[in-house]
Amino acid sequence: MKPEFKIVPVSCHKTFNKLREDTDVTIALAGNPNVGKSSIFNSLTGMGVETANYPGTSVDVHVATTALNGTRIGIFDLPGTYALGAVSEDQWVARTGVLEGNPDVVVIVLDATNLARNLYLALQFMELGYPVVVALNVYDVAKREGRDIDVKKLSRLLDAPVVPTVANRGEGLKELIAAAVRAAGSGRRPEPPDTRFGQDVERRVQELTAAIAAAGLKDPHDLPYRAMALLLLENDQEYIGLTKAMPGWEPILELAAGLRRQIEAEHGQPASIRIAGERHGLAGIIASEVETAETDRQISWGERLWRYTTGPVTGVPVLLGVLGIIFVLMYFAGNGLADLLSNAWEGYVLPPVQSGLFAVIGKNAVSQSLMWIPDGFEAALTVGVPFVLVFYFVLAFLEDSGYLNSVAFLTDAVMHRFGLHGRAMIPIVAGAGCNVPAIMGTRVLTTLRERVIAGTLIVMVPCSARTAVIFGAVAFYAGWEAALGLYAIVLALWVLAGLGLNRIMPGKSTGLVMEMFSFRRPHFKTVVKKTWFRFKGFVLMAAPILIIGSLALGALYASGYLFDLVRPLSPVMEDWMGLPAVAGLALVMGILRKELTLQMLVLLAIGMGASKGVEHNLNLIMTNSQLFVFALVTAIYIPCAATITALGKELGWSRTALISGFTIGLAVLVGGLANQMFRLFG
Amino acid sequence: MPKVITQAVEEYLEAIYKMSLEGPVIAARLAERMKVSPPTVADMLRRLTENGLVQVSRRHGVHLTRQGQQAAETLVRRHRLWERFLTDVLGLDWDEVHEEACKLEHAMSPQVEEKLADILGHPDTCPHGFPIPGTKGARKREREAVPLSNLCVGDEGVIERVAEEEPKLLQYLATLGLFPDARIQVKEIAPFRGPMLVRVAGSQYALGQEVASKIMVKGK
Repeated sequence: MKPEFKIVPVSCHKTFNKLREDTDVTIALAGNPNVGKSSIFNSLTGMGVETANYPGTSVDVHVATTALNGTRIGIFDLPGTYALGAVSEDQWVARTGVLEGNPDVVVIVLDATNLARNLYLALQFMELGYPVVVALNVYDVAKREGRDIDVKKLSRLLDAPVVPTVANRGEGLKELIAAAVRAAGSGRRPEPPDTRFGQDVERRVQELTAAIAAAGLKDPHDLPYRAMALLLLENDQEYIGLTKAMPGWEPILELAAGLRRQIEAEHGQPASIRIAGERHGLAGIIASEVETAETDRQISWGERLWRYTTGPVTGVPVLLGVLGIIFVLMYFAGNGLADLLSNAWEGYVLPPVQSGLFAVIGKNAVSQSLMWIPDGFEAALTVGVPFVLVFYFVLAFLEDSGYLNSVAFLTDAVMHRFGLHGRAMIPIVAGAGCNVPAIMGTRVLTTLRERVIAGTLIVMVPCSARTAVIFGAVAFYAGWEAALGLYAIVLALWVLAGLGLNRIMPGKSTGLVMEMFSFRRPHFKTVVKKTWFRFKGFVLMAAPILIIGSLALGALYASGYLFDLVRPLSPVMEDWMGLPAVAGLALVMGILRKELTLQMLVLLAIGMGASKGVEHNLNLIMTNSQLFVFALVTAIYIPCAATITALGKELGWSRTALISGFTIGLAVLVGGLANQMFRLFG
Repeated sequence: MPKVITQAVEEYLEAIYKMSLEGPVIAARLAERMKVSPPTVADMLRRLTENGLVQVSRRHGVHLTRQGQQAAETLVRRHRLWERFLTDVLGLDWDEVHEEACKLEHAMSPQVEEKLADILGHPDTCPHGFPIPGTKGARKREREAVPLSNLCVGDEGVIERVAEEEPKLLQYLATLGLFPDARIQVKEIAPFRGPMLVRVAGSQYALGQEVASKIMVKGK
């Protein structure tokens, strides 16, 4: 298998077309969330992955190519879902993705430890008429749990190849891909396998199927008649809309509505629910036919850990402990890595670049502006890389272990007050390290409303760079009590913002519905791969912004225009917040990276005659209370350039502008109020 | 004392009726459900008390009097009959009828109610499976099922129905295996009125309290 490397984020439609042109066989990878589907995808394809996205959704479809014995294979990885349908974003993307992608074969990854529920999705894909190959994953765990699955019988019942796999060890994957290529040759099957529902529902499905066949309705995606009948009986609004474009649709829809009502009248539940129930029933029967499980199972360590991490007495201390560890790791490991990288950069890269540049074009405004590009790189190296890398690693580790489940479960009640649910807790905590990965982490939230609230709240969490400013400007000069007070103010504002957003944002929060998994031993290779995958995404997004921003700001600074630009700020800066005008300059620079604000102040102090290297001299330009106001404003006002970019990508630019505007307004308001308080009470 | 039952009064009675099936009715929760401020609810409760429709006590919360119970049941009966009519006769879809019935239930005389029940052949339940008051054993059937959120750790039951207000949630839960007749067991409840951990077939799910209160469960 030879992975290829290319990265072109584009729309799904184009990606699929290109994939079909470039390869001999296309495979769709499907499965429930958390069944090891991504491990299979990653092992099959290596690192060369394209990411496609349907506009307006946060769910990605990953696309990659590989090869087996000279056959070029294109694989697309559908989002992990429990079903295909239109009730949630991931289900919709999975369905639309498979219909548009029109793969030659669908590989469905099933969790061997939870066969019945997993078979539901497999049955849905078979209804759609795709040749299916089943990967029976975590086969080893199922065995250890005392489940014996008759693979041959399952294959016979489903009329599809079944390959046992252990994805994180790479077992069975070669066989899987070979089986998929073989099945792809069979072409799309005209009739789905013999899946039959309970008699009264089945009768109506068949009646409608026959009517559709007789009317000769033609589906644009070549769906089998039975699949069409089921979608209509399920009252799928999107598909009903699609049907209305087919000639001869009217009597069919009428018949479907009538049959739907019959099912509803007989069962006292909507036809779609009844059909879901029938599918679950069928899946359950198949599972019980092939599986013999030992029932007397001991409580595993995973379950015991779950109990400790969610119990009322132990859960909260464990959570605080873990959060503390994350914070310490981010702080020390992140800072250590940052020092290492910046020393290396300043010691070995910067000097030759600088002398080279000055030698070629001389020491002037142009070369000094250009020097901001390597400086921008240094910013990326010292802010982005270390903290983001450490955080992604910790996140991947916690995800893989299953602890995030416990956290979501434990904190759901509290997060509810902010219109969020438990899953938002981790990205918010992550914000204390760096806002950028935290914002990208809000993808776990299902609605746009939740993502907007979480995004705003994350921006208001002081990241490590802002922490550095607070420590350097406040704790260092005015003592730790003052720094603590500043944190208290930020925390209070944060809670108020959360409560307020929940009130004013239209819509209401969705309740928590989430599958829970027990703890697992994290798999190191998976953790590293996940970390790398996300980290790559971050670098690709943030690096250009940092470089372009550095250049622009550098040009403004070197040419002296920056001073003209910040001059209009002086009424706000001087009169309202009581800060010297030069502080405005520092704050503008801080948009690029927050700790620049402090560095600028130090530079300015040096410029005013303070001896170099002694930070004590900040008092030359500001009093302690001014420093407090300054740090407070720095902690709240506009997120840094990289964060703004991340927000823009996740929430859209107008919402990003709103959030940024809100934080600037809040910072000015609070900074001014603090200044007035200092004036009144000394 | 004037005995005019306005539409607003009717809606309060209906809400109290439904909430009392889930447990003791507290004024603050009533305010949340009706989406009004607590003082508004206090006002209305005073009015309802004066009209002899409810009793409010510090200990037991809000209770319907006999008369109030009757008025509420009439209303719920009309609502559910209308839902039946809208689906069975007019052929509207399941997820549309609740809203429509909310409007229709208030403008109806006992005579029309009677005729409507005749036409429909005196059904027992509304299309969503809820018993229609006034039919045989309706009260017992209504009380048999309790919201999942009322269960304790270790309790087991069978899902009877899922509240109809949110068809998408209903559908989503069904794909997870949380559909009528499925067995469900409460494994754990998170602290601070947090979510419940439930087991259905081979899977475990965390359900927020809000979601859990919409799933009606019957004892095994």
